[in-house]
Parts: sequence; structure tokens; C-alpha cells
Amino acid sequence: MQEQPSGTVIRLRHFQGHQPHSSPSLSWTGRYVAALVQQGAQRVPLIEDRATGALHRLPLPADRTAVRLSLAPDARRLAVQVAQGGQWRIQAFDLAGLLEPDLPGGVAIQGGGPGAPP
Amino acid sequence: MKRLVSATLLAGLLSGCMGSMPLPIGPLNRQLESLGANRDPSLSGRWLALISGKGGREQVVLVDLERQQPLPLPGLNRADAQPLSVSVDGAGDRIALVRQLEGRTELVLYRRSLQSLQPIAMVPSGVPRQVQLQADGRQMAVQVSRAGLWQVDLVKIP
Repeated sequence: MQEQPSGTVIRLRHFQGHQPHSSPSLSWTGRYVAALVQQGAQRVPLIEDRATGALHRLPLPADRTAVRLSLAPDARRLAVQVAQGGQWRIQAFDLAGLLEPDLPGGVAIQGGGPGAPP
Repeated sequence: MKRLVSATLLAGLLSGCMGSMPLPIGPLNRQLESLGANRDPSLSGRWLALISGKGGREQVVLVDLERQQPLPLPGLNRADAQPLSVSVDGAGDRIALVRQLEGRTELVLYRRSLQSLQPIAMVPSGVPRQVQLQADGRQMAVQVSRAGLWQVDLVKIP
């Protein structure tokens, strides 16, 4: 992972030792990094939360091999391309219960505490 | 009904034991299944761009996730072109596409609001393979082959 425009390389905590990596995907601010990593004989989608250090794995049924993924910039959804039975498929996942949204600067989150405008 | 209640209870128990898990988006996944074989997903905002194949021909499809319906992309897909990689911006307006056409691999930028297609030249010259648009549509990262090496170019979009 490289910060732009400085070019500073940022080390990812949970990706080491699981090479090769493929299909990297970033949320808006770079808080979340998703990619496919090697775990044993399987390609596994991982999401690292750089703000909390948390790691999220997406388990897939044994008959599916992950090929590519795309994390939505707001981190609300993840799409995974899998190979299953000799065919490509895309499966979409809702991350709303798993991750806080990662919104671009200046975008207000809906709702609020006491005194919030109706 | 009993089966539905049991499945809901089981899902609740599992989520209680295992913590939050990514949930498959059932209706959307069924809609995607109906399109045929799909690859190269690109999520941004309420949009999912992908390459879909049916009957031996692949084309770019843009799905509106709120309506869970594909949208028309007039002027983007050609019967004689092979799409390789696609990416959509957060507004669902700009679609970057790497495709093979007449023996050449090229990068093009499609504007849905204008129904326009603009070729993007690789400088220095190279062969594009993958593309990813920034969500605000202002720049894109392009994986390019040059002299047998993979490189990543950041390309600003005017």
C-alpha cells in the first residue's frame, strides 16, 4: 500500500506471510484494505481495518474459489468473483453489520444525537 | 413457514456465536445469476459494473444496486470488442474500460450522461490490462505492461 502523492509505503499488519496477494481494493480514506490472500490451499478474501487493527475474513464454501474482489469505497458492500463448477460468478455481500462506513471528507452521517436537526 | 422460522433462528444463533459476518445480498445475487457468467466486479456508490457473458459473447453491464436492475449503456459495448477490465465511479457516470478491439488493447473512458467514449493513451506507450477508477472519477490506476514488466500508472482525468 502506497500513500499518494508522497509515495510512502505503508505496512499492512495482517497480510504478511499470506502471499501471493491479489486484487487489492481500498475504501475512501484507505481505512479498509481488502485483497485475496493465500491461506493453505485456498484464496481467501481479507479486509484489514487500519484504524482498529481488526481483521475480517470472508469464508467461502469449499466448492468456490475466489478470483477477484471489489470493496465499495464506503465499505458498505463487497463483491467477490468466484469460480464455481467451471463458471465465473459474482457474489455481493452486505458489510453494514461488520464495518463502520468509510465516507469521503465532508459527507455527513445520517442521524445524530440529542439536539440533532429533524 | 416453519422452515423460514427455523432458518431465521439458526442464522440468529450463528451470528450470536460467531459475531457479525458479511451477509450475501440474496436478491442481488439472484439477479446477477440471471445475467449469465460474470467476472471483474467494480463496486462504487450504488453501482456495480461487471463483465458478463452469455452465448459466448462478453459485455459490460452496469447494475443499479438500489433498483437491482441493469442499466442501458448505449455506445459502450461492441460485438467485435472483448472487454478485459472495467471500473465505475461513485456517481455511476464514468466507466473506465480496457478492451481488445481489432487486435489492439486499449483503455477507454465512457461518460454515461453524454454517451461518449474517449480513448485514453498510455504515456509512455504500453499495454493496459486492469483499470480502477477513483470513486470521485478524478483519476484512475491502470496496470500496464511495458517491456515485459507490470507497472501501475496513475492517470488524471480531465
